[in-house]
Amino acid sequence: MLKEFYYMLLSFLTVFKHLFKRPVTLEYPEKKSEVGERFRGKPYMKGCIKCGTCIKVCPANAIKIEDNDFIFDMKKCIFCGNCSFYCPVKAIKMTQNYELATNDVNDLKLLYKIEGRENERLD
Amino acid sequence: MNYLYFLYIEFLAKHNIPKIFGDITFYVIPACIIFVALILVILVLVLFERKLLGWFTQRKGPNRVGFWGVLQTLADAFKLLCKENITPIGADRAVFNLAPIIMFLPVLIALGLIPFSSEFTFMNFQTNVLIYVILATFPVLSILLAGWASNNKYSLIGGVRNVAQILAYELPISFTVLSVIVLASSMNLTQITLAQSNQYGVLGWYWFPCIIGFGLMLICTLAELNRCPFDLPEAESELIAGYNTEYSGMRFALFYLSEYGMLFANSLFISVLFLGGYLSPFGKYLSPILFSGPVGNILIYFEQAFWLFAKSFLIIFIFIWVRATLPRLASFDLLKFSWNILLPLSIVNLLLMSLLKFFVGGVYA
Ligand code: SF4
Ligand code: SF4
Repeated sequence: MLKEFYYMLLSFLTVFKHLFKRPVTLEYPEKKSEVGERFRGKPYMKGCIKCGTCIKVCPANAIKIEDNDFIFDMKKCIFCGNCSFYCPVKAIKMTQNYELATNDVNDLKLLYKIEGRENERLD
Repeated sequence: MNYLYFLYIEFLAKHNIPKIFGDITFYVIPACIIFVALILVILVLVLFERKLLGWFTQRKGPNRVGFWGVLQTLADAFKLLCKENITPIGADRAVFNLAPIIMFLPVLIALGLIPFSSEFTFMNFQTNVLIYVILATFPVLSILLAGWASNNKYSLIGGVRNVAQILAYELPISFTVLSVIVLASSMNLTQITLAQSNQYGVLGWYWFPCIIGFGLMLICTLAELNRCPFDLPEAESELIAGYNTEYSGMRFALFYLSEYGMLFANSLFISVLFLGGYLSPFGKYLSPILFSGPVGNILIYFEQAFWLFAKSFLIIFIFIWVRATLPRLASFDLLKFSWNILLPLSIVNLLLMSLLKFFVGGVYA
């Protein structure tokens, strides 16, 4: 009984102390939370050589290559980072951008153009 | 009230308005003042509670609507006004609509009984305390009606739980109030306030000799107001929202309003009984010192009201603190706690106070 009462007083004191602490709230649209260095966000591609490795390793079948269009399907992507890990020329990078919500379904198809490598290959 | 009455009649006589007009309108004005003050205080109170709960849990509380979130309550009220009023099929329509209104009335009447300053008590009866104690239990009636008329199992259980709770906690309250009545030898709230003004200042107020009663009163009022940790009638993990499950829009707003109104009224009541009501904690009023002449004499009444409000907000702060700290009790523990611990304690307290009055009577007379 006495012990319970002591614990109750202790909890009251603890709660009261929190009154003077700085709030941990992050006001989101104005301030954004910092993410880690290895955070895997929206994928980015530049300098693809069309080897097709990423298509094979992607567990979600989210990558498509059509001629010179490199397409990430963000509806399928699970941000595992396999594509960027296995790419032989490190063409794919996972950026820190995590604000991917959108009102338009077409925005979820990420389209990157493949440039510059065709001529070298013909040689 | 008499002093104000004479001032008012004199003022009317100067402008050649018949006395009968003054007799009729005089009692309308304080009623309007109380009503407007109640609405304003509730608006502040809701924000106060949400801000404090935020700070207690290291959050910021509402801070988007208006500067520092001051308009949040207004925005909520506007949202509730715009919502649809739904009456469920099978509900008892008349009772269902009547319950929120019945709940709001005792709050208004109860506020009229409180002496806000030495001249401003709307209804100054000899037995103010008794009337208040009875009125404070009135919300349970409308909660039971709401629970019954909703035709919903959750509402019904909530209403019935509330009745059991009030039955258990009203007795300790009555005994504690009785001990204060014994100390002050009066049932009039103004007399009780005046009985606490003596040379001991803050220690002369009844919270000091009657510290057990003060604690009991705080606990039991929490239960009577259905606040954490005694908010079983609206325990959302078991009963959705308890008695107001089926209420929406304006009717829900009325429940909400009267809950906070009752919180305010009860905290006023406690501060009158135990914290010296409108008395200044410094022993004498500050306004005659700060402002000389007739202005200071009139400002005394506002200062008295200010002290009363400050004390009541201190008590509300304690209530919110408790809400931020303690989890909800189980239904059975709640009743056991009252019948096994609080009721004997309150009777012991009453005996102690009677003995104190008998032997040391002169000090606390
Ligand atoms: S991150 Fe994973 S799921 Fe997304 S495209 Fe790359 S391999 Fe596929
Ligand atoms: S992105 Fe990298 S792994 Fe994928 S096809 Fe291009 S070069 Fe190959």
